[in-house]
Amino acid sequence: MNDSATNNETPILQGDDLRKTYRLGRVEVPVLHGASISVKEGEWVAILGSSGSGKSTLLHILAGLDRPDLDSGDVRYRGAKVELQDGGKTNHYRNKTIGFVFQFYHLLPELDVLENGMLSNLVPRGKGSGIVIFMMAIIGGFLGAWLGGMAAGDWGLLPLEERTPVRSVVLSGACAIIGSGVMIALSQIAQAIILRTRMRSGEAADLARSTLKDFGLAERYRHRPRELSGGERQRVAIGRALGSSPDLLLADEPTGNLDEQTGTAILELLKEKHQKGLTIVMVTHDPKVASYADRVVRLRNGRVLEED
Amino acid sequence: MYVALLANRYLTSRIIPWIAVAAVALCVALVVIVVSVMSGFLDMLRTSGKTMMGDVVIRFPISGIPHYEDLLEDLEALPEVAAATPTIDTFGLIEMPYGTGDGNNMVETVQVWGIDPESFNRVSEYEDILWWRTPSMEDAESLPSDDLRLDPGRDRTEAAMSLKDPATGAPGIVLGMHISVFNERRADGTYGFQAGDTNYWMPGKQVELTLVPIKGGRLSIEPESRAFSIVNEFQSGVFEIDKNRVLISLQDAQEMLRLGSGTLYDQTGKLDPETGMPLVLGESPARAIAIYVRANEGFTPDQLRIAASEAYDRFWSDNVDREDRTVKPPSPFRVSVMTWEQQLASIIAPVQKERELMRILFSIVYIVCAGLVLSIFWSIVYEKTRDIGILRAIGASRPGILGIFLIYGLVIGLLGSIVGVGLGWLVVTNINAIHDALGEPAPIWLTITTFTVAAVLVVFSIHAAIKGSILRWLLGVIGFLIIGVVGVGLALHQGFLLWDPSVYYFNEVPSKMDWFTAFLTMGGAVLFSVIGAAIPAARAADTDPVKALRYE
Repeated sequence: MNDSATNNETPILQGDDLRKTYRLGRVEVPVLHGASISVKEGEWVAILGSSGSGKSTLLHILAGLDRPDLDSGDVRYRGAKVELQDGGKTNHYRNKTIGFVFQFYHLLPELDVLENGMLSNLVPRGKGSGIVIFMMAIIGGFLGAWLGGMAAGDWGLLPLEERTPVRSVVLSGACAIIGSGVMIALSQIAQAIILRTRMRSGEAADLARSTLKDFGLAERYRHRPRELSGGERQRVAIGRALGSSPDLLLADEPTGNLDEQTGTAILELLKEKHQKGLTIVMVTHDPKVASYADRVVRLRNGRVLEED
Repeated sequence: MYVALLANRYLTSRIIPWIAVAAVALCVALVVIVVSVMSGFLDMLRTSGKTMMGDVVIRFPISGIPHYEDLLEDLEALPEVAAATPTIDTFGLIEMPYGTGDGNNMVETVQVWGIDPESFNRVSEYEDILWWRTPSMEDAESLPSDDLRLDPGRDRTEAAMSLKDPATGAPGIVLGMHISVFNERRADGTYGFQAGDTNYWMPGKQVELTLVPIKGGRLSIEPESRAFSIVNEFQSGVFEIDKNRVLISLQDAQEMLRLGSGTLYDQTGKLDPETGMPLVLGESPARAIAIYVRANEGFTPDQLRIAASEAYDRFWSDNVDREDRTVKPPSPFRVSVMTWEQQLASIIAPVQKERELMRILFSIVYIVCAGLVLSIFWSIVYEKTRDIGILRAIGASRPGILGIFLIYGLVIGLLGSIVGVGLGWLVVTNINAIHDALGEPAPIWLTITTFTVAAVLVVFSIHAAIKGSILRWLLGVIGFLIIGVVGVGLALHQGFLLWDPSVYYFNEVPSKMDWFTAFLTMGGAVLFSVIGAAIPAARAADTDPVKALRYE
């Protein structure tokens, strides 16, 4: 979180001279022409603009989901430059620093409400996870090769007449592959069991439960997204975005796909979180929605026109 | 953590991966069944060698090996040798105790073995293959109640072990089970008599055996005939052996072929000046045409062959210069020392080559696995592009996304290959029951059940048509056509013989699982399923979150 760079004057999020050009075949379509934005901690900023003004692109770049052009300026979080190349730091920024809410909810249909709510807490993979899989594969491989060797020799799997070194090696190799596969599969089963345990009593599950409960979804934990209404889905999506307790919530037209009443409920929810100190950057084309924000930034043709 | 969760959910929440599992399983089962039957065939050929001839045969045809007793002693002293036995083998004519219908008894050509039952039993599994012996308690339970072997009065083990008629002491003969035309093999592998007539029970009946002695490369013009009393029958499991082989005692065979001990006369026509009779050169020792040798535990037939060959060289060099030996053993260059596998090379080698070819050809199965998984995963990744974008947007790493699909592919390969090997094992171990069932007309209840299911499917498709569901209607029609054709097939099925013993050598379809091939195929299927999954997985990992989220 770069706390060393933090002071009261430093914006929590800052984008300077951001440029982005899309290439559609040979045609270049410039979207952002040096847009700059600055967000203070605890602020609710709305980026208002019509369709095609570049507001979603700006938000994606601020969220680390998209990369600006090479001659572009940069994105700073608490004064420190955000790495926008795809890598561990970017993944950490996407996962821990910000929470992102999409217009179309984008919940995973195979997971239930609670699992979707916990997802941002489940995603970070410690370096240990890869090492565990690698170690299991190695152990399984050696175990399989040893068992294959024993089977070829002492256990008489190969008839005496066919017991050649080449065949023994081939059998050991095949058993090594099977052994590795079995051990990796077992490690995944073990992880699934641990996950199930965590979902019952873990810290992440408790946090997700409490957030979803606050959002009125206490009776819906085991439901799949397809069984929810649009408003409920968006509440789950916000719950997922807040699951890893981020400093910033970036929302791309969070009410754009909802009716007015449901949209208002979602905005009230965001307002409640904002009042508790959450910094929000929201993109919208609707001035009514923008009116919930402390400050409105108008965007036209890829440039920030004015700030209200 | 989410990798395990999503791999599990993607696997369990849709039907496509299970189709991939089923396809991999069928491919693996196919390889396991085909190669197991071929390996079983090879194994039965090898075992049949052990059953009847041990592991290695030292042979000098026609005139035989003299002083073979010394050779046996030398051989049995070797660590590689478990036992050795002298034999005579030749061809002859046997007059059976039943007629051809025109007043004459039936005459068959047979391969005759003269054996020493005691040592022959140590080299081969002579006692085990005798048919008329009291079955063990365990075997007795599985026999049909009308099996004559359950009658202790029909046990002829002792007679077979002495090769003498127990009542008269006359020379005894043991016939292969398929020589008597009245022995009828039943579906359960036991034997009955044609029309159930136990008068055709062979033990105790007389046969006449005619052998033609051959000497010095010229055909003797004095065939020797002797009456023998049938003392038992045997079933080695090798159809060709059971169809035309008879066993008599070594001594009888030596006497009939003039290979027994006796006086050695000058063959050039010289006469003894004192008696005017042909000149006596000395004693002619008894001879054995072949020595069968069984390997000790832990020695391969090839190791035994080398040891036996060296033993014969020593035996020859010990005897060739001995003046008291009028008749010398044949030179090692003229004596063949071969394993059973070498003797049957014309049968074993093609099957072995064919099996290896099958293993190589069937490696195409791996490519099928890889192709299946690749195409299925390609479509899954295509369908899941947006989900991948969501995961990337909330911080999932590229290796994490790669891991989901690799583990997914691994599980499909593992499950498919385990199910495939299980299915293969079920078919291989029950292949004779399946074969027997195919050999019988289909049971009426099965035919009726099939037609009932077909009728239900017709009703289902009509109902679907009324309701306007094209998919259900189509499924109903396809189901009806398949089940209907199966039903008609069952109704018309009158049983057919797939495994003809006279063609395939053995009475039964080999049913030994080839675990080497099973593990090899499993390993290959797992590896290639992961390889098949790797390309779509890499494509998923390369997915740019914003592009993926825009993807609809």
